Amino acid sequence: MADDLMHAPVPGHVPADRVFAFNIYGDPRLTEDVQASYQSLHRDAPEIFYSPLNGGHWMITRYEHIFDIVKDYEHFSVREMQIPRIENPPVFIPLSLDPPTNLPYRQALMPHFSPKAVSAMEPKLRAFAADFIDEVLARGECDFVHDIAARFPVSVFMELMGMPLDRLRDFRALADDYFKARTNEEIGALGERIIGLMTELVELRQKEPADDLISKMIEFQVDGRPIALGELQSMLFVMFLGGMDTVTNVASYTYRHLAQDDALQARLAADASLIPRFVEEGIRSFGVINTPRLVVKDCERFGVQFREGDMVLCVLPLGSRDDRRFENSAEFDIDRQALTHLTFSSGPHLCLGHNLARMEIRILTEEWIKRIPRFSLKPGLRHHSRVGTVIAIESLPIQWPV
Amino acid sequence: MVWIEFVTPSGDVRRVEASEGESLMQAAVRHQVEGIEAACGGSMSCGTCHAWISEPWSAALPQPEEGERSILDFGVHIRPQSRLTCQIQVSAALDGARIEVPPSQS
Repeated sequence: MADDLMHAPVPGHVPADRVFAFNIYGDPRLTEDVQASYQSLHRDAPEIFYSPLNGGHWMITRYEHIFDIVKDYEHFSVREMQIPRIENPPVFIPLSLDPPTNLPYRQALMPHFSPKAVSAMEPKLRAFAADFIDEVLARGECDFVHDIAARFPVSVFMELMGMPLDRLRDFRALADDYFKARTNEEIGALGERIIGLMTELVELRQKEPADDLISKMIEFQVDGRPIALGELQSMLFVMFLGGMDTVTNVASYTYRHLAQDDALQARLAADASLIPRFVEEGIRSFGVINTPRLVVKDCERFGVQFREGDMVLCVLPLGSRDDRRFENSAEFDIDRQALTHLTFSSGPHLCLGHNLARMEIRILTEEWIKRIPRFSLKPGLRHHSRVGTVIAIESLPIQWPV
Repeated sequence: MVWIEFVTPSGDVRRVEASEGESLMQAAVRHQVEGIEAACGGSMSCGTCHAWISEPWSAALPQPEEGERSILDFGVHIRPQSRLTCQIQVSAALDGARIEVPPSQS
């Protein structure tokens, strides 16, 4: 088993007191309360440490350090985001491009994810959320992950892209399979099919433009030339990956908490104006992304030597649970002082969809609490999560009185 | 030292000390001024450090560059005095400036 973890020799520039073995793909310290159990690192591990597992990489767990590293693209590049490193890493536009190369793409997309653009989608999103909840309402039970949290963002994505309704079912099934897939072959094959489907849509909109994001993306200019098909495919795929699993999982972990907190359910039911604070605290408490960087220039930061070729993993959920920044950081407290957290990262790659993600979870909660003000976890079940650079809960069976 | 007055969404007036060379956003974040979120930390990738710069200080500032303007175009609570505070360098000319923080950044 030790071989599977690629136990790498510790490089000479890493002092012995910074070495701490942690397996991001399944460390025994991680429990079903993934984010809370991750917090043991703040207590037990060196402040910044080097794990020799999975090819060897640094782990950054404090708010201040992550905040600095994700902004410092001259030393910490996004061009490789795989741990362990692989040959020919894929290029994701604009995610795996450093400034200034990422800028034209990001600037072209930003207006479509601005507060203004996102609010215009609110009525449609509300109707989607209401439909999904109404479908399960009379049953008195559902798997929140599968029946609600995974389906909602898929519809939002299709709405944003202008995907025709007759494609809805196909696409939803494909997205479902993609996020359930476990082997590299499966993931690769389903990824190809998703790109294929989006390419059909691009071709359709080239012939018949409509008032949707794909039609506008076709018109994007990059450095004074029209955007190429390959670039469009890469951007669409990143939006697909970034917009679904993330919202699904943040919402699911947040509802896992809410299901166990009767007092909070009662407060939200009595006063819907508290919902935005609830959403923000859910996002702070349940980050689901660990973002890797590749050191491209030697440097010393926070008393640590980083060498070109080192991989660095910023554990965003821990940045959002850093007790140096957030008092009683492990507590879910919707009344806490609003402070910027790191669940959406920061810097030039700050999550493009942060406004949309907040709105999705807010609308979902407004519609949910109206219909299902009291609910609980189905007893005696465990909630397994997949861990790694993305943290994902597999199911969340809940029940309510009908 | 330069003194800046931030009027927060709750209506509090926060008089904070800023250093020449840092940005208005950095000064606000250092003093935890309510409503200046600065989610991207000054990389001009979000627009969540938006504020209204009162006259006469607003008129005395260099005009926003294209990147800042395009972010403001799609923001909320935008007025003629709207700026991204990450793009404004603190200087002696801003001493005593009054900056209003809008009710929300989204």
